[in-house]
Amino acid sequence: MSDTASSPPASRDTEPATLEKTIRRRRQRSSSSLFAAGEPMVWLTGGALVICTAMVAGLLALVFWKGGVTFWPLPVIRVETPVLEDGGSQVFMGEVTRVDTFRPEQSVVDALPEAIARQAETQLRDRAGEAERRLFRTGNFKLTQNHFRWVTDFEIADEIQPEWALVIERLEWGRFYGFPEAFLELTPVAGGDADQARAIASGLTATDGQEIKLLDRRFENGAERDVLIPVSEAGTAHNLQAVALVASGPEAAWEQFGEHRDAVRDRWHERRDLEKFDTGKVSHEQEQARLAVRAVELELSKIEERQSAKSAAAVKAAAKLEQARTRFAEVEKWALAEFDRIRIDIDNINQQNAKFQLLMRTAGEGAIASETTLIPLDQIVRAYPANRLSLGGKVGLYLARWKEFLVDEPREANAEGGVYPAIFGTVAMTLIMSILVVPFGVLAALYLREYAKAGPLVSAVRIAVNNLAGVPSIVFGVFGLGFFCYVMGASIDELFFAANLPNPTYGKGGLLWASFTLALLTLPVVIVATEEAVAAVPSSMREGSYACGASKWQTIQRIVLPRATPGIITGFILALARGAGEVAPLMLVGAVKLAPELPIDGIFPFVHPERSFMHLGFHIYDVGFQSQNSEAAKPMVFTTTLLLITIVASLNLATIWLRNRLRRKFASGQF
Amino acid sequence: MIKVRNIAAAAAACALLATGPVAGQVKVDDKLPTYETVSGVAGTIKSVGSDTLNNLMTLWAEKFKEKYPSVQVEIEGKGSSTAPPALIAGASNFGPMSRAMKDKEMDEFEKKFGYKPIAVQTSIDMLAVYVHKDNPIAKAGLSLQQVDAMFSATRKGGNSSDIGTWGDAGLSGNWANKSISLYGRNSASGTYGYFKKHALFKGDYKDSVKEQPGSSSVVQGVASDLGGVGYSGLGYKTADVATVPLAKKHGDEAIPASPESVADYPLARFLLVYVNKQPGKDLDPLRREFLKLIFSKEGQEVVVKDGYLPVSYDIAKKTLAGVGIDI
Repeated sequence: MSDTASSPPASRDTEPATLEKTIRRRRQRSSSSLFAAGEPMVWLTGGALVICTAMVAGLLALVFWKGGVTFWPLPVIRVETPVLEDGGSQVFMGEVTRVDTFRPEQSVVDALPEAIARQAETQLRDRAGEAERRLFRTGNFKLTQNHFRWVTDFEIADEIQPEWALVIERLEWGRFYGFPEAFLELTPVAGGDADQARAIASGLTATDGQEIKLLDRRFENGAERDVLIPVSEAGTAHNLQAVALVASGPEAAWEQFGEHRDAVRDRWHERRDLEKFDTGKVSHEQEQARLAVRAVELELSKIEERQSAKSAAAVKAAAKLEQARTRFAEVEKWALAEFDRIRIDIDNINQQNAKFQLLMRTAGEGAIASETTLIPLDQIVRAYPANRLSLGGKVGLYLARWKEFLVDEPREANAEGGVYPAIFGTVAMTLIMSILVVPFGVLAALYLREYAKAGPLVSAVRIAVNNLAGVPSIVFGVFGLGFFCYVMGASIDELFFAANLPNPTYGKGGLLWASFTLALLTLPVVIVATEEAVAAVPSSMREGSYACGASKWQTIQRIVLPRATPGIITGFILALARGAGEVAPLMLVGAVKLAPELPIDGIFPFVHPERSFMHLGFHIYDVGFQSQNSEAAKPMVFTTTLLLITIVASLNLATIWLRNRLRRKFASGQF
Repeated sequence: MIKVRNIAAAAAACALLATGPVAGQVKVDDKLPTYETVSGVAGTIKSVGSDTLNNLMTLWAEKFKEKYPSVQVEIEGKGSSTAPPALIAGASNFGPMSRAMKDKEMDEFEKKFGYKPIAVQTSIDMLAVYVHKDNPIAKAGLSLQQVDAMFSATRKGGNSSDIGTWGDAGLSGNWANKSISLYGRNSASGTYGYFKKHALFKGDYKDSVKEQPGSSSVVQGVASDLGGVGYSGLGYKTADVATVPLAKKHGDEAIPASPESVADYPLARFLLVYVNKQPGKDLDPLRREFLKLIFSKEGQEVVVKDGYLPVSYDIAKKTLAGVGIDI
C-alpha cells in the first residue's frame, strides 16, 4: 500500500533486469515485514479499542445489573438448623442475598450434632470438600441484634417457603420478617382500669371474623411483652392497655391491613407536612424576630461605642430596640399558640393512627421458639407477603421502591429511604457551576485568542491555564475552603449577617461555595475548548467581515462566536461531566452526610445558596464506607451509582442535543 | 479522663438483659425519662467529629428533627481529630469523639475560650477485634499482648516474639502458615488513638497496617480477606466477620465482645460528645434539648439500634449534671 510511495521514482527508467530485482526485493520486504504493511497496527489499535470498550461496558453492565436488581423482591425462605447446646432447633427466615462456596474445617463438622454431622460429611465428600452457604437477610434487629446470618447448606434440617411470610419495611429498625398473627383495632383504656375496659368492650361490636379482646402488657422473664386476653379475665390483667377488635389469622389480618393501610399512610403524610412546613414556617418567623432584635442590639452597642447613650442616634436606636423587642414578644406569643395548635393536630393524627396495630409472630429466632411483636401501622412503610406475590405484584413493588428511592428523604442515617435531597443537590450544584464557568471561560478564551498579541506573556498564561487542568481536585477543595468559605464567606457574614454570629451563615461550606470551587476546577476545560473552537473559524471569514467594515467586536459577535458555539458547547459538556462526578473537593466545601433542607424552599428568600447540601457522589462514599449495616447498604451503593451515571449522562445528552441543533442551524446559514 | 473502672461501674448499673428470654437483646434503662418537646428551639445542629459516632449523631439528629422540624441539621464525621478544631473555630456546636481529648487539644481550646470543653458520655462502645468469619481464632480468643504483637512493631505489651502468621497466634492446620493481614484506621481517627493507647500499650503501629478511611471499610476489608484482622467499633459488625474474645493478660479468660460482658471486656470505652459550655452560664435551648434527647429513652434506643450499648440512668444523670442539665 504505502510501498509505492517509498520506492525510488527512478525505478521506472531502469533496465528490465534491475526492475525484476527491485520487484523481488520489494516482495521480500513486504512478506518479511508485516509492520511495513501496517497490518499489526490495525490489530493493535483495534485491540486497544476493544479492550477499552469491554472495560467500560463491563463496568456499566455491573452497575446496571447490581443496581437494577436491588429493589426486586426475593422469596422469603425459612430454614431450620440444629442448635448445638440444647438440641433444640434454630430457625431463620429471610431473603437470600448472597451465596458463597468455601472449604469448612473438620472442626466445624465435628462440632455438629451426630445426625447432621453425618449428612454434612456425605455432602462434603460428594462435592470434594466444598460446601455452599447462603447469607440470609433475617431482619428483626431489635430482637436478635443481627441483620444478616450465614447458613451453611449442610446444616439445614428443613427448608420451606412459607406462604404467609410477610416482609415489613419499617420507618425505623430496618426490616421485619414474620407471620401476621392478628390485626388489632385498639381503644385505649385509661389507667388500666378493668371496669372501664369491660364497659368499652360491651360498647364495641365485632364484625364478621373479629373478636373483642384485651391487650395486656406483662413483664415476664425480664422483658415486656404484649398479650391478648379474653375480656372475662380483665381482673387478672397486669397492666391493661386497651380493648382490641382482633382479626386473627394471617388472611384476615392481611385483609384488614389492606383496608386501613392507605388511610393510616395518608394521615402520616399529613402529619409529616404539619411537622415540616407548618412548624417550620412558625419557627422561621420566630427566628427572624429574634435576629431582628439582635441586629438592633448590635447597632445600638456600636453607636454607644462612639457616642454617649444620650445622643440622638442612640435614643433612636434604643426606641427601635424597644419596638423590635415588643414585636419579638408578640411573635413569641403567636408562635406558642401556633405550636399548640399544630401539636393538637399532630396528637390527633397520632391517636387515630395508634389505633391500628399489626401483631406479628417471628419464625423463631435463635434458641427461642418464636416471639410476637406489635407493629404500629404508621411505622410501616411497606409490607408484602413475598411468597404470594404474582409477577405483576413484584413489578409493582419494584417500581414503588424505585419511586421511594427517587422522591423520598433518607432515613436511618442514609441506609434506607430515598436520595431526593442528594439528587437535588447534585443537579443544582452542577447547573450553578455551569452558569458560572461558561461565560467566564468563554470571555477569557476570547481575549486570549482574539485580542491578546501572541508573545511570551500569552504563552505563559496559556501554559498556566493548561497546568490548572492538571492540579489535583482536592487542592481546589482546600482553596475553596480557605478562600471562599473562610475569607469571602466570613466577610459577607460580618457585613450582612452579623446578628447570626457566632453561627456562620456564609462562612462555612455551602452550595454556592461548592459551585464556585467546581467552576474554578472546570475553567481550564472551557477555556481550552473555546480557544480551539475560535481558532477553527477560518480567518477568511474574519477578513471578509472586516472588509465589509465591521469592527473587531462585531466580527467576534456575529461571525466568530456563532460558528464556534458547537465547539464551546463541547467544552461545556466536558466541564459538566467532570464537575458532576467530582467528590473530593466537595467534602471540604459543603457536601455533608445529612442535610434534608433543600437549598430552595417555600421560606423567604426561597433560594438559600449558603446551605450545606447532599451530593450523590458523596452519598455513595458515605453509604459504601460509613454505614453501620454495611451488608444492607452495599446494594444501595450500586443503585446510587446507577442513578448518578444516569443523571450525568442525561445532562450530557441534553447538551449534545443542543449542540447538534446549533450545528444544523449554522451549517445552513453558512452560505 | 475516663477510667476503665468507671466503665465497670457503668456496666453494672447498665440495664442489660443478660438473663432474659432473648439472648443478646439489649434493653434501655427504664428509669431514663421519656423525651418531651418544648418550645423555643431553633437553629442549626452542626456536628463535626468522630466517624465511629457518625451514624449515631445522624440518627439522633433525625429524631431531633422529628421533634423540631425547623431545626437544621448538618453532620460531618471524618475522624475524632477533626472535632476539637471545629469546636474551637466555632464551626460546630457538638464535637463527637471516640477518645478523650488530648491535653494539647484541651489547652488550645482553653487558650481561645478561657475554660475547658465538657465531655458528655453518651454511650458505650466495645472496640472489637474482627477476623474473617471462618477464622477459628474467634473461638479461641487472643490476649492483648498477642494483639499488640500482631499490630505493633514495638511490642510494648511484652510478647516475646512478633506474630506474623496465624500459626504464631496459636492456630494449627491450614491456618498455621497463613500470614496475617492487618487492617486499621487512619490517624485522624479516635479509634486509631484509643487502640494505640490501650491495645498497643502506646507502641507504634506496623507499617503493614492497611489504613482505612472508615470503620465500615475496616470491617469490609476483613470480610473479604481470609487472613485479615482489624479493629472497629462493635456497631459496625456484619455477618461476614467474627469478633475475637480478648483477655487482658496471657492466660486470663478471654472475654467476648458481647453486651453481657461489657464490665470485663478490656477495650470498652465511652463514646463522647464534647460541648463548649461557659461555666456559670446555661446552655442554649438547642444544645440543651439535643443532649436531653440523647439521654432519653428514645435517644438510648437509638444507641441500641446502631449497635452500641446504652448508658444507665446514673451515668446519664451524672454526665448531664456536668453541663448543668437535671433529669
